[in-house]
This record gives sequence, C-alpha cells and structure tokens, in this order.
Amino acid sequence: MDKNTTICNENTFNKVYKEHGKAIWRFIYFKCGNEAQAEDLVQDAFIKLWKNCAKVPVEKAKSFLYTITNNAFLNEVAHKKVVLKHAKHQPDKVEHQSPQFLLEEKQYHDKLQNAIANLTEAQRTAFLLNRIEGKKYKEIAEVLDISVKAVEKRMSLALKSLREEIGDI
Amino acid sequence: MEKDYALHNYLNGTATQEEIEQLKADSEYASYIKIAKTIQGFDTPDFDEEAAFNAISEKLKQKPKVKKLNPWATVLKIAAVFAVLFAGYLYIDSLGTTISTSVAEKQNFSLPDGSEVALNTNSTIEYNKNKWDNNRELKLNGEAYFKVTKGNTFTVQTKNGAVTVLGTQFNVFARDKKLQVNCYEGLVSVAFNDTLIKLSAGKSLQIKNGNIVTEHQSIAEAPSWINNESSFENATLETVLNELKRQYPITIDASEDLKNKRFSGSFTHNDLDLALQLICDPLNLTYTIEKDQVTIYATKNK
Repeated sequence: MDKNTTICNENTFNKVYKEHGKAIWRFIYFKCGNEAQAEDLVQDAFIKLWKNCAKVPVEKAKSFLYTITNNAFLNEVAHKKVVLKHAKHQPDKVEHQSPQFLLEEKQYHDKLQNAIANLTEAQRTAFLLNRIEGKKYKEIAEVLDISVKAVEKRMSLALKSLREEIGDI
Repeated sequence: MEKDYALHNYLNGTATQEEIEQLKADSEYASYIKIAKTIQGFDTPDFDEEAAFNAISEKLKQKPKVKKLNPWATVLKIAAVFAVLFAGYLYIDSLGTTISTSVAEKQNFSLPDGSEVALNTNSTIEYNKNKWDNNRELKLNGEAYFKVTKGNTFTVQTKNGAVTVLGTQFNVFARDKKLQVNCYEGLVSVAFNDTLIKLSAGKSLQIKNGNIVTEHQSIAEAPSWINNESSFENATLETVLNELKRQYPITIDASEDLKNKRFSGSFTHNDLDLALQLICDPLNLTYTIEKDQVTIYATKNK
C-alpha cells in the first residue's frame, strides 16, 4: 500500500478491514471467548479507525486496531470460556483410525479444550496466537506490546500448565 | 535449558529435525509437542467477516443523521432573544417612573389616580405606574406638596419616615436628616421609627436628626413655595440660605458665625436681588452679587 494514502479513502479502508478484520476478531476471541463481544469490539475498533482516519497512517492501522480492541477489552468485564472447535482436517492423520483411537483422541481434545479455557488470559492469547494463528514470537510481542522474552515465558508457562492439567498421555 | 531453547524454536517454526528428535526423546517435552501440535489443529468459531463489515458501514452511515440540524433550533434561538428582550422590558418597566427637578426648577404633575403633586426644586419622586392602582406609594427625596384624591392609603416614603394618608393636602419636606410634614386638609399620619403621629389639618411636624423637634399650627392654606415664595419661622440662616441655593442657581459665601442667626419671613423665587434684600435687611446684613457668586457679611456700623 502506498504510504501516503490515508485510510479515509473507502477502498483503502476496505483493504485494511480485509487484511486485519478476521485476525483481530480471533485475537479478541482468544482473550474473551465471547463471539458476540469480539464482533462488537472489532466493529467499534474499525469505526474508531474510520473516524480517526486522517490521523492514522496506513502503516500504523494494524497496531492502532490491536491497541483499540485490547483497551476496549480491558474495559469490559464479562469474560466467557474460550471454546475452540476441532479443525476440519489434520494433514498428518490421513490413515484410518480405530474407533478406540478416535474416542481417546476425542477425550484428549476435550481435556485440552478445558485446559486452554483455564489458562490465564495473557498466556492463552499468546499461546493461541502462536498455535492457531501461526504467529512468530516477534509478531506476538508486537501485537501484545510486550518483549519477545515475555512471549517465551508465557509460552512455556502455558505449555506447563496445560500438561499438568491433562496429565501425560 | 537447551531443550527449552529447542522447544521455542519448534513453536516458532525454526527447529531443526535434530532438535525435534531430541525433544521427542524426553517424555515431558514430547507431551508439550503433542499439545502444541494438537492445538495447531484447533480453530475458533467462524467470524462472519462480511456481516461485521456491513454492520460497520451501517453504523458509519448513521452518524450524519445525528448531526442533522434541528429546524427548530433557529426558531428557538430567535425566540430566546425575544424572551430576553421581553424580560428586560418587564424589568425596566417594574423599576418605575422617576420625576426629578433640578435647582431653580419646579414641576407640577398628576399621578395615575388624579392626585396632584407639586415638586419643589432639586427633588425626586419615584413611583411605579403599573402597580399604582393597588399600591399608592412613592418615594420622595426633597420637597413636594400633595393633593391626594380619596382612595386607598397613599404613602410617601422618605429616608426619615413614611407619611400615610387617605385623601388630603399636605406638604412633605425630606432632605438630608430633616423631615417636615405640613397638613393642610384632612388627616395625615407620619410613621417615624416606631411612633405613629397623626396630624390634623393645619398642623405641622418636624423631625430633625432623629428627634421630633416641633409640632405647631401652620396657618396658611398651602405651602408658600407653591406661590413662588419661601417662608420661614424662626429658622436658622443656614436653612434659609440652603433653600435660596435651591431656588436660584447660585453659590453663597457666608461666614460661619452668621449661620446661626434666626430668620422669620419669606423670600420670592423670581427675583434674586429682592430675595437677598428680604433676607439680609432684617438681620442687618449686606450682600454682593457677582455673576453666580453671592457673598453675605455683617453690615459695618457707621
């Protein structure tokens, strides 16, 4: 995108939305676990972005959006449990599974789900951004406005408490 | 430590095959890898990107609606200006009517109920035209002669007391700390501090410096100043000269020791030379007039 264009242009605004809308929704969903709340926060963030479009250069739009949603999230009180769903396809599990294996896997998934929901908000957000969104530590550090070292720590702690909760399988 | 480093490399997608093998050999790290891998396959519920975008567009479109000017706003603004002007008019109107005279000027006028007022020089009367029907009350500073038509109580407020009547003819002199009331017809009551004094026709009352000084008969039918003459009975020269200064636009120079001389008599308002003669001759005084400056001194014995 051209550095000099402002977001006030409708096409640019649409582009920014396409680029970040979904990621921000997921980011906020990881935090609050409430789909409707996440959507409201995303809408509010983009409305704010439009109203401030003259002040926010395109290259700053991303961090503006993350900051806005994060602050708005901190102001909201009600948190729900994060509920994830099983992926449609898992690439390295193509072979036929026995019913016994499938059941065990299902139980494992459910346990993991619960464990994730019980993580602290800070650990969960960092962890899921890495695992589900595939973001590198550096990127997570930028989005959460923390250091890479802090991301590492959150990742380690998240893994440790997940393992403790589900036990070795 | 080494394994932690390798684990972060794995999570960051930069681990070598060797590192992964090393991790899988350790049961603790193997379970970490299993957890990490499993969660990688998880997904969030679906986010309806398009619906959310439409909602955003909708909300942004709504905004100008709110900004729409209220067509009544202009009307209300104009109305507000008129309301302020009207309130101002009412306020000024309620302040009342003021009639005043300057030195050497007299004025006769009628009040709304037909009562007549003769205002002597250098005096002020203030009253409220609108409330007059219910409340016949006026403020006086100076001297005035009233011929009051019959009706409700008629009150003259002065600095030193209030004069109340029903319908009569009377003169009020209210200057500085002196209040003098002469009743020529009917009955006048003078409220002074806590005392209420009733004056019948032909009587007069004088209050000076907070004390009732004199109460005596006055013979005349109307105050002499109405007929362009000021009369005095045993008044100090100072009082007489003060009145002279009100009737003629002059300044008077007289030595202090002369001011306590007593004067009984009258002077005219139409001829300064004659007036001075009438005052000075009986008291054995001499005067000179230079433009507006009058000087009075004791006549030297030959």
